[in-house]
Amino acid sequence: MRAPGTVAAGETLLAVENVSLRFGGVKAITDVSFDIRKGEIRAIIGPNGAGKTSMLNCINGFYYPQEGRITFKGETRRRMRPYVAASQGIARTFQNVALFKGMSTLDNIMAGRTLKMNRGFFWQLLRYGPAMAEEIEHRKVVEEIIDFLQIEHIRKVPVGKLPYGLQKRVELARALAMEPELLLLDEPMAGMNLEEKEDMCRFILDVNQQYGTTIALIEHDMGVVMDLSDRVVVLEYGRKIADGTPEAVKRDQRVIDAYLGVAH
Amino acid sequence: MFYRETGQFKTSYQADMAVFPIRQDRIGLALILLAAFVVIPFFGSDFIISSVMIPFLVFSLAAIGLNILTGYTGLISLGTAAFMGVGAYACYKLTTFFPNINIIVLILVSGLFSAAVGVLFGLPSLRIKGFYLAVATLAAQFFLQWCFVRVPWLFNYNASGAIEVPQRTLFDIPITGALASPETRYFVCLGLVVVLTWFASNLLHGRIGRSWMAVRDMDIAAELMGIRLLNTKLLAFAVSSFYCGVAGAMMIFLWYGGGEAADVFSIRLSFNILFMVIIGGLGSLVGSFFGAAFLASLPTIMKFGLPAIGVPLAGATAEHVTFMLVGALIIFFLIVEPHGLARLWQIGKQKLRTWPFPY
Ligand SMILES: Nc1ncnc2c1ncn2[C@@H]1O[C@H](COP(=O)(O)OP(=O)(O)O)[C@@H](O)[C@H]1O
Ligand SMILES: [Mg+2]
Repeated sequence: MRAPGTVAAGETLLAVENVSLRFGGVKAITDVSFDIRKGEIRAIIGPNGAGKTSMLNCINGFYYPQEGRITFKGETRRRMRPYVAASQGIARTFQNVALFKGMSTLDNIMAGRTLKMNRGFFWQLLRYGPAMAEEIEHRKVVEEIIDFLQIEHIRKVPVGKLPYGLQKRVELARALAMEPELLLLDEPMAGMNLEEKEDMCRFILDVNQQYGTTIALIEHDMGVVMDLSDRVVVLEYGRKIADGTPEAVKRDQRVIDAYLGVAH
Repeated sequence: MFYRETGQFKTSYQADMAVFPIRQDRIGLALILLAAFVVIPFFGSDFIISSVMIPFLVFSLAAIGLNILTGYTGLISLGTAAFMGVGAYACYKLTTFFPNINIIVLILVSGLFSAAVGVLFGLPSLRIKGFYLAVATLAAQFFLQWCFVRVPWLFNYNASGAIEVPQRTLFDIPITGALASPETRYFVCLGLVVVLTWFASNLLHGRIGRSWMAVRDMDIAAELMGIRLLNTKLLAFAVSSFYCGVAGAMMIFLWYGGGEAADVFSIRLSFNILFMVIIGGLGSLVGSFFGAAFLASLPTIMKFGLPAIGVPLAGATAEHVTFMLVGALIIFFLIVEPHGLARLWQIGKQKLRTWPFPY
């Protein structure tokens, strides 16, 4: 017997069924279905404008698809809502870094703990006793993440002042602070140099292996996708054109055509 | 040389999370409190206390209120004066109904009324931002000010429309009304401001403050992390309006001592508080004090300070010069340094910390 709402490794954690999303006349996603298994790294690839980001936005409730169903941890919904997604354990990073620019690295990551903190307003007013104990307890967790991602030196720096590569790392740290069950990464390596990319790859693998976090990853670098992911889903013009292991997908004729002439 | 943290090691997260982690800052704060509680009341003239210090304290509190909303949560408001007015009129009604309850308690309770009204006018903030929200709060300003004039119940049907501040005492010492000395009124203001500033600082350094800033900096990311936008914004409106309401009640009861409050809580006051926050520093508690000190002392400096050092300035000219100076500073800070005087203060401290070696 398992507690309800928990999923064993290898079973379906998230299932997207027949999801369609339109913006006025623009069809961003058309009738796409796929699943993500507990514990795997699942890549979502496709040319620009294929609907990858939109798909993540549907999964964590930021966009509402017109059709389809989304099942997470055995619960089926017409659509996700941001608060439900966050409290059920879905975290994400953004294609264009979406950090809290005016706050320090530490505060950004601490903000990721918000849902886990529950001392009320009046304790907060005093910042004493239970409120302080809670603050310290979460600070410890955050320090572990800071350690893990090797960003100790920028702890107190306002994130707006950090170089792009580090910002992406802080964003990952903030997502990890939510202790998510499913982590959505939208082009985590875009705009990075080779060394930063290698670091980020290692972090993603470590997160997956050490914490057992399931990861959905959008990435353009085919080399990275082949190395990291267990299974790949390929989108083009909002439709799914392939789904399978990296090797199988690489040999798929439609995928080759879709990427033909695109230097990746 | 002297402003250094060298040799001060933090051995616990608690020490690292303190609001003033550097010892020199704590000493500085102690000195300021000493000056505020001892030096000024005993050596300051009645004029300084009632025309500079009390206005400074009242404005500081209102500026903290607006800063919580605009500087920390990113919601612009032009209704500050109206929320202050709600506090003032609520306090007047409360002390009429409950003359035996201590006036300090009533001043604080008036803040709750202001908070409720603030939440009401904050509701549109879920849907609208920036310019449109500013217009919505402007509507609050005009509507509430209209109420202050047109609802005679609020000023106890007084024929002149004025609030008549009754005498109220604490331990038999009058703290409001004609017999209250400037020093007593100053002490009450100071006590309220110190305690409320401490509360604000606590809130801002914890989960709630982080949620406010997260919503300000990137509301989408905040929402996807489980921060509920509406709750967070409404809480900011509530706390902000509470501070403004208390400031408004203090303004009438401890500073003006009565008068036609409807004129006081005008759009001009709203703008003045906004200017304090901008000049002092958006998103900075200490900046709220800088901004309030600057704008509260400017008229006095213009009127008495400049003639004293031999610069002749007639009353009307002084007022015009003040306007132009404030206007120029607003533009300067908005363009060059949106974090205001507080940031200049920070930069100065940083320089001191490394002085005399630049690295
Ligand atoms: N908020 C939006 N409003 C209108 N159109 C959108 C919006 N978001 C995405 N789209 C459209 O949906 C399509 C897919 O975009 P996106 O999901 O960002 O693609 P990808 O991430 O694969 O590059 C594009 O044609 C884009 O213009
Ligand atoms: Mg995208």
